Amino acid sequence: MEISTSRMTRKEKNELPVKNRIVIETRNLNFYYSDQNHALKNINLQIPERQVTALIGPSGCGKSTLLRCFNRMNDLIPGTYLTGEVLLDGQNIYNRSLRLEELRKRVGMVFQKSNPFPMSIWENVAFGPKVNGITNRSELEELVVSALKQADLWREVKDRLKTSALDLSGGQQQRLCIARALANKPEIILMDEPASALDPISTGKIEETIETLKTQYTIVIVTHNMQQAARVSDFTAFMMMGELVEFNPTRKLFTNPDEKLTEDYITGRFG
Amino acid sequence: MMRKFKDDPYILLTSLGLFISLAMVAFIVGLIMVRGLGFFWPRQVLLVELKDGTRYLGEVWETETVSEKQPDGTIKTDHKIQLKIGNRDLYGLDFTWVEEKDVVRREHPPAATVFERLEYGNFYGMMRSLQVGEQIYRDEVERHAREALKIAHRLEKKIEAKQKALNELTAPLNRLQRELSLLKISDEAGQPRVVQKIQRLEREEENLKRRIAEKYRRLNEQLLQLNQEKQKIFLQVQAASGETRTILLADVVRFYQPNRMSRWQKIQLYFSKLGEFLTAAPRESNTEGGVFPAIFGTVMMVLLMSIAVVPFGVLAAIYLNEYAKQGVVVRLIRLSVNNLAGVPSIVFGIFGLGFFIYVVGGSLDQLFFSDKLPEPTLGTGGILWASLTLALLTLPVVVVATEEGILAVPRANKEGALALGATRWQMIRQIVLPNAMPGILTGLILAISRGAGEVAPLMITGVVKLAPTLPIDGTFPFLHLDRKFMHLGFHIYDVGFQSPNVEAAKPMVYTTALLLILIVIFLNLLAIFIRNRLKKKYKASAF
Repeated sequence: MEISTSRMTRKEKNELPVKNRIVIETRNLNFYYSDQNHALKNINLQIPERQVTALIGPSGCGKSTLLRCFNRMNDLIPGTYLTGEVLLDGQNIYNRSLRLEELRKRVGMVFQKSNPFPMSIWENVAFGPKVNGITNRSELEELVVSALKQADLWREVKDRLKTSALDLSGGQQQRLCIARALANKPEIILMDEPASALDPISTGKIEETIETLKTQYTIVIVTHNMQQAARVSDFTAFMMMGELVEFNPTRKLFTNPDEKLTEDYITGRFG
Repeated sequence: MMRKFKDDPYILLTSLGLFISLAMVAFIVGLIMVRGLGFFWPRQVLLVELKDGTRYLGEVWETETVSEKQPDGTIKTDHKIQLKIGNRDLYGLDFTWVEEKDVVRREHPPAATVFERLEYGNFYGMMRSLQVGEQIYRDEVERHAREALKIAHRLEKKIEAKQKALNELTAPLNRLQRELSLLKISDEAGQPRVVQKIQRLEREEENLKRRIAEKYRRLNEQLLQLNQEKQKIFLQVQAASGETRTILLADVVRFYQPNRMSRWQKIQLYFSKLGEFLTAAPRESNTEGGVFPAIFGTVMMVLLMSIAVVPFGVLAAIYLNEYAKQGVVVRLIRLSVNNLAGVPSIVFGIFGLGFFIYVVGGSLDQLFFSDKLPEPTLGTGGILWASLTLALLTLPVVVVATEEGILAVPRANKEGALALGATRWQMIRQIVLPNAMPGILTGLILAISRGAGEVAPLMITGVVKLAPTLPIDGTFPFLHLDRKFMHLGFHIYDVGFQSPNVEAAKPMVYTTALLLILIVIFLNLLAIFIRNRLKKKYKASAF
């Protein structure tokens, strides 16, 4: 009960905590894995441009599901459906007029577990541009190099671009996956717990990368690590049991949350 | 060890099961190996003289001990020897049984010679004289005969070439005459249009005859002369029974004197015979000569089958796993495909005959080869139809193995590709297929193993005991998929059970079986090699 009232409060106040342009907006988004499994309940969220937005919450709260709604990865799971709207620059991405491949080119994704393809490093990074129709060798070369540089991997791999991506270390593999997403020149990058499988040093590197990327890209990151959310994000959304509890600038949410639930969660009383 | 068995008696039971299975496999493979490989080794030639004065010269083929209980209670034991005495044109039979107790003299005469002939099987005897042209040799016959054999073989080759040229010369005429005779007996023979055509063709025939007449005469003359020359190279050979035979050297494949050969010479002969077996065409209703056409037919059929089965199987598996909505229907289809693997192969053969040959081949004949009807071109058994039938037979194997390969592709990789904006087909082409390649090749390996050994469906879809031509040759269009072919599996059946001379053909059966096993192993190893290379490439992705 408490949760739903808190959402009402936000609506009543109709107050946006965001000053930047909004790139993604969800309107009354409901998502069902099946008729019995109502995973996202009436989510209304606005994600600002060129900021890092973190989604936090206890396991199973729906933060990954929400993230995967933004590039329609949930479509792959049979039996799921959704109601409401997800707007990308004001256009509903679940509208048939937007091609799925075009959407995924604009909204890149980095997964929890690094998933480099069993190809060379170069081939991995060039995969996105290639499937999106870029065949010019020099253009590809440029995209690959700049993506690797942005992902802070260029120095480490520039002499072995033709070797298998599977020979890289775990942290390098994850940065390769970031580079792979960047090579598509996306507008938004979705990150699903990108550092959860990595050691602290690799995690630090990823976080540094995110810090530099934010000047050019809108980043949405799911994390179960609250310190990480506090470190890297500008805005934080706290979710619980499929509902959006609170969305605020990160500093405010962690120091002076509007909701009692949020406070309980960040002070470690549950979750 | 025993303690272990005591702890769990089922170790003993299960290991016993394994042992028995392995022992049986080892026994059959060992038997085939020993019998098959021993076939080419030149054996000693034995001369025996019996009490009644009969003399036999031949190879010891088998010995047998027969024990018989006499009426007075004692046991009488007889030893018998089976001799391969050859000389079919003299004695009628290749083999004879000799009772050990009847033998009064036995020796290995060094001059005993084995002749492998193109016809009538082996001849065993002693060389007496050699005639080449007008010259007659009575000393050092063996050395001169070796030279003469080469000359005779060269002559034979020349004759073959001339014969071929002659056939080619008369081929157009034959075609024309055939067309004419068909027209003359056709229902429309009385119609003016057809009468005109017949007259035109007859004029053409005359022209053609006139044009080739000179060349034809010359070729025929040359042939005659060569044949006469060939007739003048011959040996006088005395058989054990004392009769002397004239043997044309042109009819002799090779001759040797095993009793005076060194080990090294025997090894050389062994490999020469093995080479002949692998590269020559069969003779004497398949009981002698080589099996090259059967090897060729088997390998080509397996390749055609693979070309047909892999694309279909892979496409089907991709659809089932990547596109189809998983549900009752897909499960039903999967179950049916699996069950298809259990359908008896002869049923596939009958289907191949009914559908591929009569329906598809028959329709194609109507469309493209109607001028040759009623003689079928594609509407009869051929290597293409046999391969397609086997492709159908092995389809389930490929589908199931490919499905397993596709399921083994990490989901993360598939999602990663889609998340980068790849279409589903791009994802399948670039991520799923390369990763599933080991699975696909496993399917191919299983299909080859199954397909190469299959005989029953082939017997009604295009295999013959003797195919005059290979499915690939130098005449346009080079690849003749409509031709009938020979197959090692069928060859085994044919030589072993349909042969007029089963006793002589027995070793051939073992050798052919061994060869078939080796070919299947080779094809499998090839596929396994490729698969392992691919696996190495993708191994780390399957974490």
